[in-house]
Amino acid sequence: MMRRWLFPIVVGGLVAWGAYQATLLATPYALMQAAMKKIGDRGPENQFAFSPMTTAANQTIVRPSPDLAYAACAFNVSKGPVLVDVQPVPDHYWSVSIFDARTDVAAVRSDRDTKGAPARLALIKQGQTAPAGYEPVRVGYDRGLVLIRILVAPASTFPTIDAIRRKSTCKQV
Amino acid sequence: MKTWHRFAACIALGLVGGAAFAVHQVRGGLSDGLASSGPWETGKSFGTVDANALTRAKVALSGLLALPAKEAMYFTAKNDSDGRALDGRCNYVVHGGTLDGRWWSITLYEGEGWLVKNAANRWSIPASAVATDAQGRWSFTVSPNAQSGSWLPTGSVDAFDLTLRLYHPAADIIKNPEKAQLPIIDRKGCA
Repeated sequence: MMRRWLFPIVVGGLVAWGAYQATLLATPYALMQAAMKKIGDRGPENQFAFSPMTTAANQTIVRPSPDLAYAACAFNVSKGPVLVDVQPVPDHYWSVSIFDARTDVAAVRSDRDTKGAPARLALIKQGQTAPAGYEPVRVGYDRGLVLIRILVAPASTFPTIDAIRRKSTCKQV
Repeated sequence: MKTWHRFAACIALGLVGGAAFAVHQVRGGLSDGLASSGPWETGKSFGTVDANALTRAKVALSGLLALPAKEAMYFTAKNDSDGRALDGRCNYVVHGGTLDGRWWSITLYEGEGWLVKNAANRWSIPASAVATDAQGRWSFTVSPNAQSGSWLPTGSVDAFDLTLRLYHPAADIIKNPEKAQLPIIDRKGCA
């Protein structure tokens, strides 16, 4: 009796291990895809969408910070490099981060890195080159997200910060 | 039972069981179990290619778009400093000292990481919102009811967690997060 079940149970165990690994590997791609779709719904590809300050009523991405002003760009480098120009906000923490389709960070640049100057990044895949004046950031997948974070403190400074951040651009060459 | 029936049953159980166990583990919390300081837990590889598949999946579910430690560290507490689960019907005092980084905030979340609706429309306490004494000590209250001073509402939810964000953390904290002097969470009573 047991001998007839032994081999099926071993096969079932191997299938369970495979299903476990496949679920873990697929989860980041699936959640990133959902996030890119949500951001894509707010604006076209390769263009920043500027969010209002996050509240309990308008949160779209899990674990948002209500102290940060966010701007997000769903990028796609399949047809050419994507250029990201970030307008600095004086005397405020800000950063721009590039996330690939697997949720890994390809690059982060903050006001500390640029010493207050604008950040100018060219998102490229293999075979593409960055235009002069742009720091190349090689991404392993065609699609992903660019996210700008700006510390808004006190909250009353948001209108000023909002006007500055809207000068930032994300565009395909 | 025919042979193929036995294989089909075991394969089906394997598929469902393997996937269900993965989901259970991914939903187990934001920490990858590498570092804890008091009730606060964090991981050392958030957002990086060094993260293993489980950590990457956990972060995607509970902290999507998290930054690597060099830029920001995320410490999450699901329990108070005595190890009891944080309960939105209880009052807490969170107190600490200087945190070695450029800027910090503590945000209250429920579920996988969602801000809690509350009448005060307040979801976090940033460093700029607390008064510090000469030694750099500060405190604020976490409570379902309005409190004097710095106050973070719980919205009376059954369970919540607190996430401490530390931007541009000092090199020592990045290297040894388990040695970081992080805030104490004292429970003061429940409704």
